[in-house]
Amino acid sequence: MSKDDNSVHIFQGLLILGNVVIGMCGIALTAECIFFVSDPHGLYPLLEATENDDIYAAAWIGIFVGFALFSLSVLGITGVIKSNKTLLLVYIILMLITYAFEMASCITAATHQDFLTPNLFLKQMLERYQKMETDNNNDKWMSEGVTKTWNNLMLQNHCCGVHGPSDWQKYASAFRSSYNDADYPWPHQCCVMDARGSPVNLDGCKLGVPGYYNSNGCYDAISGPMNRQAWGVAWFGFAILCWTFWVLLGTMFYWSRIEY
Amino acid sequence: MLPLLLLLATAPGADGLTSIDYVPTLANETLEGRITTSTFVLEQPRCVFTDAQPGTHIWLVVALDAAAERFDAGTMPETPRLAFQTFPSNTAYATLGTSIANYPCPPRPGDFTVLRVGSETACRSDPNRPSCNGPLPGPGPYRVKFVAWDNVTAQAQTHWSEPITLKTALQADNLPVTAGGHSTGMIILTAILSILFAVLLACLVALLASWCSNSYGSSSIFSKPDAVTVRRYNTHHVYDQPAARL
Repeated sequence: MSKDDNSVHIFQGLLILGNVVIGMCGIALTAECIFFVSDPHGLYPLLEATENDDIYAAAWIGIFVGFALFSLSVLGITGVIKSNKTLLLVYIILMLITYAFEMASCITAATHQDFLTPNLFLKQMLERYQKMETDNNNDKWMSEGVTKTWNNLMLQNHCCGVHGPSDWQKYASAFRSSYNDADYPWPHQCCVMDARGSPVNLDGCKLGVPGYYNSNGCYDAISGPMNRQAWGVAWFGFAILCWTFWVLLGTMFYWSRIEY
Repeated sequence: MLPLLLLLATAPGADGLTSIDYVPTLANETLEGRITTSTFVLEQPRCVFTDAQPGTHIWLVVALDAAAERFDAGTMPETPRLAFQTFPSNTAYATLGTSIANYPCPPRPGDFTVLRVGSETACRSDPNRPSCNGPLPGPGPYRVKFVAWDNVTAQAQTHWSEPITLKTALQADNLPVTAGGHSTGMIILTAILSILFAVLLACLVALLASWCSNSYGSSSIFSKPDAVTVRRYNTHHVYDQPAARL
């Protein structure tokens, strides 16, 4: 009898351990998703202007799923210790619902990451940066967001355009229709700035003399944080779900063995 | 024959202008703004007009490639025939007139020895500034040459440059925005998660089905009572203690 009791206790211990890990991962997922939603790099307006901000939706879902996982793991531990069939059934059903939501979040984040290409941001930059004649309030809001974000990007990361300053020469843009080519071959934010925020040598910048303008593109500064966000949400969520799968299977098996 | 040819090369031409054997060139390739959609950058004519007197003015003449041959170098700059404001209908204009003293030979170290053609935007419609260095109105092609003037007559001219064609901006509408397809990672993730979820749902359904059929007394999947079952955990084992303990 004691040997059988021992194996039952071991199984209970395993389930409790599984639930503890789920709880901790849930808190970690919530913290990670709150970090992403807070947009530390200020790139959200770029996604908002593409009218597809799925990786942010996935992060929002992640916040609530993480909290739910934590709460349900506490419920699960209680249910296993008390061997209460009702508690465990509630736990299993709610966990499956949470599982479905987390699955949606992971798949959304992974799918949206494939959508973020250099040409997407290039086209958006050419169409919206410094766009003066906007059609409606929504257009105005998005264009202002894109303009502000690009100005910050170029100044803080010392970069210019998506691939380089040649983007402004190679393609027609909203910027070009407001700012003539002779005075602004590329935006003045591409110039090397002094401590007060004005170009060190404006003529050198307009000529394109190395050292007076930023010649590298900003795509790395955009795609780096976005890819990290997409991967963080999608694959961490995937890992949690793989672990949760085994804990749920074990719990279902345990539930089927409980006798009233 | 050869001395005669040499004499012809340096002798004044038919209109009294000395022909200088220099072809104006675009600036060094490291400049990003060497050619834009309305400007281009030339090398300054340093050490070119070696025989010029102090006080000579060097003018840059920009002409449409097709009309370059018809240009008369004796035309006075800053007159309506060579005004920037009516270019390209007058097929050529003169600009960037400056004293030869601004092109010292040899160049001082640290000098920018380039000329940006098209940098002045303020005067492009101002008829009082016919020598405005305004932005070029189209992609060209253009040819340029330098002409040296004293106060009244043209003294010397260089050769025409090679045709210079400016950049043309493409429309951004045709940029292909969509990625090639779905990445491998996303497909694997979706497939594995879907399978796991399906397995869980199947187990849940089987569990509930067996529980329902069990509770209604009919034959169930787990017909043989298992050797190990889980008891409700009771904190007090008092009721389980054998009576002999007393």
